[in-house]
Amino acid sequence: MRRWAYFGIAIALVAAAPWLIATPYWRGILVLCAMNVLLALGLNLVIGYTGQLNLGQSAFFAIGAYATTILVKTYHWNFWLAAGAAVIGAGVLGLALAAFAVRLRGHYLAIASLGFAVITYQVLVNWESVTEGVRGIYGILPPVPSTVGLYYLIAGIALIVYWLMDNLVRSPVGDTLRAIREDEVSAASLGVKSALWKAFAFSVGAGVAALAGVFYPGFVGTLVPDAFNIIESFTMMAMVIVGGMGTMIGPVIGAVVLTFLPELLRGFGELRLMVYGLALTLVVLFMPGGIVQLAKRK
Amino acid sequence: MLSANNVSKSFGGVRAVRNVSLTVPQNTIYALIGPNGAGKSTMLNLLSGVYQPDAGELAFTGQSLLGLAAYARVRLGIARTFQKIRLFKQLSLIENVMAGFHIHQDTPFWKHLLVGDTGRFRDEARELLEFVGLGARADHRAGALPYGQQRMLEIARALATRPKLFMLDEPAAGLNPAEVDFLLNRLVDISKRGVTLLVVEHNMDLVMNVASRVFVLDHGEPLFEGTPREVQAHPAVVEAYLGGEFAAESAA
Repeated sequence: MRRWAYFGIAIALVAAAPWLIATPYWRGILVLCAMNVLLALGLNLVIGYTGQLNLGQSAFFAIGAYATTILVKTYHWNFWLAAGAAVIGAGVLGLALAAFAVRLRGHYLAIASLGFAVITYQVLVNWESVTEGVRGIYGILPPVPSTVGLYYLIAGIALIVYWLMDNLVRSPVGDTLRAIREDEVSAASLGVKSALWKAFAFSVGAGVAALAGVFYPGFVGTLVPDAFNIIESFTMMAMVIVGGMGTMIGPVIGAVVLTFLPELLRGFGELRLMVYGLALTLVVLFMPGGIVQLAKRK
Repeated sequence: MLSANNVSKSFGGVRAVRNVSLTVPQNTIYALIGPNGAGKSTMLNLLSGVYQPDAGELAFTGQSLLGLAAYARVRLGIARTFQKIRLFKQLSLIENVMAGFHIHQDTPFWKHLLVGDTGRFRDEARELLEFVGLGARADHRAGALPYGQQRMLEIARALATRPKLFMLDEPAAGLNPAEVDFLLNRLVDISKRGVTLLVVEHNMDLVMNVASRVFVLDHGEPLFEGTPREVQAHPAVVEAYLGGEFAAESAA
């Protein structure tokens, strides 16, 4: 029952946010924040719960954005149909990538995912006939016209994803994923085929990142490869770790903090990456459990 | 029930196990003993699928185990514990045991997504914790348990797979006499439930008191197989392994 109370509070906060900070600029930041929450949730399942390093989440974010936009603009698909195809496509790609990488021991999944992000970025830049390369795609319309409407849409989806994922990690599937994170040999001794479950988590994480990507181009209005530079994979990871990986609420807090903090410091110039780097370093050194660790200590 | 036929395994030129053949009959407590470095743990890792043998045959209830990965052997009914305890340290005791029910999960995936924790196997997991004396600590973190209780938790977790054959790698190592006594009783209980046990062990009390057959390995090679009484009386075994203390004891 307490869980439902927390959900009630969360829904109220999400609903109230655009009226608490009612300037157009900050409402735009709220949209970004909702997208970042989705990105952090997806990555957390892989890093936090399954213990696998994914350094290429930006690629799946990009696939969501580009696939949706191209299907809508070039092939005149319905937006939601295109979005669904983009998310499933990213999930399948993630599954294929992970299925190959997890056969190998050690950090090959991390390396493969990083390589995949580099390749994806290069494809976006160079496959001009489809992606328009660095010139970019312009005049992209969001699925709903108003900023507040877009915010409610993405935040609503983020709430649903949170709820589903929260169920998943409480279920036996969550036990299995955490078992793999803790000790793979031990998990195997209980009959867990860890390659399968790692690929599963990686694939779901990829799909959720693509789901965030679906809304990005309509919000910004343009689509250029630089938005999906591999450094974005790093910012997503910073959100997960700063908030507290392996907990459900931690990455959400991390995404909110690391979306708003750089904006508040905007007066000091382009500090975004420095804020991320500094926050990540401080957390890793002094608070390995992330921000949620503070709450747990009491 | 379980048989190994001329099994060998080398690691970079070191022949850890050489031409070992053994048969574990159903419903026995079968002990595998030998001095340090005799290849006992290697043998157990070969049987459980952590390693694949270089040569030889392995079979369980008539089915060949060759090429089967560790996780796949669990589904046939083979469970194990580790010499160096391998718990999910950050997880609670009950979560450790719940993870052990993995191969028995039959809840449809949509229920995991929409309901989450359905409570399936939770009662059974609690019973297993009770069985190993940890019922009161279900929500503690596994890594925070004292050593002896970590061993018992590992046993409870492995039992959650509902094994037909349960292999334990030095379960009494690091336990105090009271804990060894408790372990001994639990092993007999497990055996009475129809589970065949294969125990790699150093603790002679445990081996001599509960084992029905004993297999002695020495330098990776089979030395002797027989009842505990026969093993105790066998001069080569006494010399190779049991040493002066035990020789004196059996003489007395």
